[in-house]
Amino acid sequence: MAAPELDSDVLIVGSGASGAAAAWSLSRRGLRVTCLEQGRWVEPSDYAHSRPDYELARQTSFAKDPNVRGWAEDYPINNSGTPIYPLMVNAVGGSTVHWSGHFPRMRPSDFRVRTLDGVADDWPFTYWDLEPYYDLNDSMVGVSGLAGDPGNPPRSPRQTPPLAFDAGCEAYLRGLEKLGWHWWPCDNALISEPFGENRSPCNCCGPCDIGCPIGAMSSAHVTYWPKALSQGVQLITHARVEQITVDRAGRATGALYYDDQGVRRSQTAGVVVMAANGVGTPRLLLNSTSARFPNGLANDSGIVGAYLMFHPVAFVSGVFEEVVNGQRGPIGGLMNCQEFYETDLARGFVRGFELQLSRSVGPLSVANGGILGHPVPWGSEHHEALRSRYAHTMTTSVMLEDLPEPENRVTLDPGLTDAHGIPAPRVEYRVGENTQRMLEFSIARARELFEAAGAVEILVDPLVQESGWHLMGTCRMGDDPERSVINGWGQAHECPNLFVIDGSTFTTSAAVNPTSTIQAVALRCADWLGKNYRAVAA
Amino acid sequence: MTAHILTPEELALLTLVQDELVPAYGDLPGAGTLGGALTVDAYLAERPWLRRPVLTALRAVEAAAGETPFAELDSGGRVGILRRVEGEDPEAFTELVKQTYNAYYTRPDVQASLGIDGPPQPLGFELPAFDESRLARVQAMGKLWRDA
Repeated sequence: MAAPELDSDVLIVGSGASGAAAAWSLSRRGLRVTCLEQGRWVEPSDYAHSRPDYELARQTSFAKDPNVRGWAEDYPINNSGTPIYPLMVNAVGGSTVHWSGHFPRMRPSDFRVRTLDGVADDWPFTYWDLEPYYDLNDSMVGVSGLAGDPGNPPRSPRQTPPLAFDAGCEAYLRGLEKLGWHWWPCDNALISEPFGENRSPCNCCGPCDIGCPIGAMSSAHVTYWPKALSQGVQLITHARVEQITVDRAGRATGALYYDDQGVRRSQTAGVVVMAANGVGTPRLLLNSTSARFPNGLANDSGIVGAYLMFHPVAFVSGVFEEVVNGQRGPIGGLMNCQEFYETDLARGFVRGFELQLSRSVGPLSVANGGILGHPVPWGSEHHEALRSRYAHTMTTSVMLEDLPEPENRVTLDPGLTDAHGIPAPRVEYRVGENTQRMLEFSIARARELFEAAGAVEILVDPLVQESGWHLMGTCRMGDDPERSVINGWGQAHECPNLFVIDGSTFTTSAAVNPTSTIQAVALRCADWLGKNYRAVAA
Repeated sequence: MTAHILTPEELALLTLVQDELVPAYGDLPGAGTLGGALTVDAYLAERPWLRRPVLTALRAVEAAAGETPFAELDSGGRVGILRRVEGEDPEAFTELVKQTYNAYYTRPDVQASLGIDGPPQPLGFELPAFDESRLARVQAMGKLWRDA
């Protein structure tokens, strides 16, 4: 299909959640697809779960902050201007390699916040436009959960049943039933029964956040990539992209990258698809300057990198007298409470939040502060304090909608570079007023829940520094080229054969984990691109 | 065999410090007597950025002890010194505590004292299945989402 001189029809930058899904979708249509990934395959032997010092991995080889983890494949990030640190994994499968696997969908109202609530912007499509791609994605990755949640639109049967329900769930239920609040077992990208090839069902070992050595977690490197590779996709690892190249007319022609030997190479393609996450994608576009795009590729509007959204997170832990064994079972995959999801202006803010009712961690992480920053005291009271928290703690994450603000942004750092001399990203972010009010309200509700559940001690981290898992909005979708970088198909307004399909695309953030939506959006964009490739690449 | 980062004197001091940070409990001796100093020494070899705070904290302990060596103080005197250093340089001291906890709680014998049979894999844990009947009240709540 491609002109003979092109290396491939489609070049995808990044092999994470969105890049993997798009590679599978586009190659299924017979397109020749190449993916450049700066990381490597994570091998079974990399995981620490079979060692007594497995919890150390949270501080070292599987630390969530790339500045701490310091893999050779990571690039530095200047975090000095943000109270929330961006987190990511640079490997085949991207940040799905170690994550909690929460896999909720956004609600219909999340796509219409301007129309319904008068803030931010509407997405250029609706929930119902995206629904078939949510379903397709779920069928590809394997989801545990249960249809029928009255808090969300009806959905197709989940691929495997909900995950285990144990003493910690019972503790949460005491509070939820007393308060009469909504709850439902989470949709998780984590299989509870056999599903797919070379994957084992979850055996409730616990620390999903340092990866899953048995393939129960529906990470992109065990779901989409085996299928994409079997369809002929060329995946080049250790390929660090420097910039997207363009011709004189301003059309994308491919990418320049450094290979595993440090040799600078080029890849040409009819279409370039950016899937390098909400920090990596704007970084590369801003670094891709040319005569046509002196401010960075597709950035005449000046908003590439702007409107960065996280989900500011507060952690609230409840310590119970009874043993709840929060260290057993998937760390994140319990229940969601969406009692406060939709806008109620009487609360003092617009939009809403959910409470993610989660588990806890092992003794080392408890001693060092658990999921929160509350270390167990040293000295004579140490052992009793440790034993009162370890196996007695459950932790709730407060996940709230972050509104897009142009001042929150990713730029290129003027001094900091990665190992190849490519400018590193600098992140500037502040918590907005609406978000701050919502944080305070939501923490109070989490406290109320633990009090109703009978917790004897409640610990709070009101804004978690290492919580920038969700990187959104930096190449936002929209119909207006003055307020958006790409259209509803992921196509750049200013460069028609350039697409963005990762979390950068989000017009607004909703109040749920984004990966399910990231992959559904990527599939929708890839479907359109696949059908229209000839016209787009011409 | 990795070369030591800490001198024999520093290892000895760290051992005493660790026995105060995580004292003996039940059948288990303190974190220092259990060999925590050598484990932290290995961490310092593997992760050079830890050396500065840990060494800073150790030197502060030595200096705060003054003319009476830390080793010659009783437990109350040692704890007093450690509280003082913690107050004066919390960042370095916190790192020292963290690395001591790292060394202590990664030991299988310490984990066994907490009822842990082994690492998370390969066995994992058997947990009860989800019981859908628990959802009856929520299912009766009716539609809670806005269409758009």
